[in-house]
Amino acid sequence: MTKLAIAINLHRCTGCHTCVNACKMQNNVPMGMLWNRVITENSAVSDGVEGTYPNISRTTIPLACQHCENPACQKVCPTGATYKDDMGRVEIDYDKCIGCRMCMAACPYNVRVFNWNEPDRDPGFNYGDARVPVRSKGVVEKCTLCKERTDNGQVPMCVECCPMEARVYGDLDDPNSEISKLRAKNNVRILLEDMGTKPQVFYLE
Amino acid sequence: MQLTSKTKGICILLGVLAAIGVGTWIYQLVNGLGVTGMSNVNSWGTYIIMFMLFVGLSAGGLIVASSAHVFNIESFKPLALPAVICSTVCICLAGMFILIDLGGIVRIWRILTGPNFVSPLLWDMCVITCYLVINILDLVWISKGAEEKVRKLSYVALPVAILVHSVTAWIFGLQIAREWYTAIMAPIFVASALDSGLALLIVCLVALDRAGIAEFPVKLQNMLGKLLATFVAVDAFFIGCEVLTMAYPGAGQAQALAIMATGETAPFFWFEMIGGLLIPFLLLAGQKRRNSTGLVVTASLLVVFGVFCKRCWLLLTSFVEPNMYGAPGISLGTHAAQTGGRATWALTGSYMPTLPEVVIVIGVLALGGLAFTLLSQYLIKGRTQTQGAAGEAHAAKPAEANRAAV
Ligand code: SF4
Ligand code: SF4
Repeated sequence: MTKLAIAINLHRCTGCHTCVNACKMQNNVPMGMLWNRVITENSAVSDGVEGTYPNISRTTIPLACQHCENPACQKVCPTGATYKDDMGRVEIDYDKCIGCRMCMAACPYNVRVFNWNEPDRDPGFNYGDARVPVRSKGVVEKCTLCKERTDNGQVPMCVECCPMEARVYGDLDDPNSEISKLRAKNNVRILLEDMGTKPQVFYLE
Repeated sequence: MQLTSKTKGICILLGVLAAIGVGTWIYQLVNGLGVTGMSNVNSWGTYIIMFMLFVGLSAGGLIVASSAHVFNIESFKPLALPAVICSTVCICLAGMFILIDLGGIVRIWRILTGPNFVSPLLWDMCVITCYLVINILDLVWISKGAEEKVRKLSYVALPVAILVHSVTAWIFGLQIAREWYTAIMAPIFVASALDSGLALLIVCLVALDRAGIAEFPVKLQNMLGKLLATFVAVDAFFIGCEVLTMAYPGAGQAQALAIMATGETAPFFWFEMIGGLLIPFLLLAGQKRRNSTGLVVTASLLVVFGVFCKRCWLLLTSFVEPNMYGAPGISLGTHAAQTGGRATWALTGSYMPTLPEVVIVIGVLALGGLAFTLLSQYLIKGRTQTQGAAGEAHAAKPAEANRAAV
């Protein structure tokens, strides 16, 4: 079995938002929404701080679908539009999505976005990878772990573009992969671990 | 049969409102759910609130009608027909709200071709369909006076009615990501279904009595009022249990409680506590007060509105604080968000229904009112007249249930 995943080194991440734009460009993500965003944790302003002076810290967290091993979103989907594929990715079959948004309520990470309107793209045409299916209004979408790239042995676009090389992509089921070795270290942070969704994406701090 | 000119007027008005609602729904289909106030952070709104409310409202009718047979409560039997009409109409409205809320209704057949049996939404669609079938059978059999069939059906109807509310609760109560995640969700839904459903039934019965369609004796009103007071107390008890459990540790869900008690959803929470539970209970607690139709109707309307408020705080509180909090927040995906800039983002959830949403809701309610008026005219009043015409031979035969018409 394959269990594709991404590790993100929070010490290396500078919060530059390059991965945000790389993802948006690659996947033809419409205006007004993102599959991948960078939040400044527990701060009301971007690049702000957490805590009160002088005890302050700043963590920028790139946040997209965690490709959970126990995906809350997949369980609740009435049509099976959201599914776990054999590469360990959580994917959406847009032709099956009835737009009930059960999955948005179920996902603890708020990483799913919905096409509330006819998708609007700033240049007025579709951009990005031609292999990425175009979504219509009324369906949910989210990070696919760059399905079209990873199916063909390429790394996800966010991993490719990160200027700080904070992202490591690989197969958690291959004990010799770099990502498996990182996963075994003790500075691993799993987001909202108590939700029991068992994210495959993890963070190093 | 003939409708009086007043009834005709009401029907035309309701029909016009319903037509405007349908028109607005088509507008929503063309433009997408972006015409509503929902967004990626607050992804369910008024339609789901109304869905929860109407699933609950439909309970009262069927439960009263089937208890009449299951527990052999003779005095409830005449109420069975209006009660089941009420229940049938409400469950249809609930189903309509779910369909209106779907973003991709054209793909709905996918549920049939590839159902995911683990999804609570799928369970709900199944039990609601069963429930609707039971309601319709009940309606047909009661109006035909098939007493024995009705009695047998009641044994199925009662558990299915309880199940419908539990499964609806599980759509929310099984989501670990939200504050809805609590075992008491199903009991709370059943309790508020019982009180709001019975309250609506009382209002409908009084209306039918005033319209001269079916008699609603004061003695029965007193009895149902007493039952309603009991249901209100049970509802209040469950909510009390939940609120105490949230508050006591002073951690975890305390944040959600603060939103309910003093934050965004506080008006709904407090209205329900005082206007929806306390006042109606006091009004209904007095033996004498329950003989006053005015007071009983006031209390009933308060209970229904209180449960509506409960649906609001129950649903919306969970969307306020995202689990992963941090600027710039969540990309909203709304119309405004499409223009870019700050409007794209929200740190916390907020929601305000838009005009199209309100118009659609009014349209659906009008359709419900219309269906109830016509069904009670044709099934209850219509039957009285046929019986009158058919003479003694027919009137002597009918079983208990037929007394509703007399
Ligand atoms: S992060 Fe959310 S959307 Fe992604 S797999 Fe987990 S529950 Fe599903
Ligand atoms: S919105 Fe689409 S993907 Fe999400 S639960 Fe509903 S059908 Fe499944």
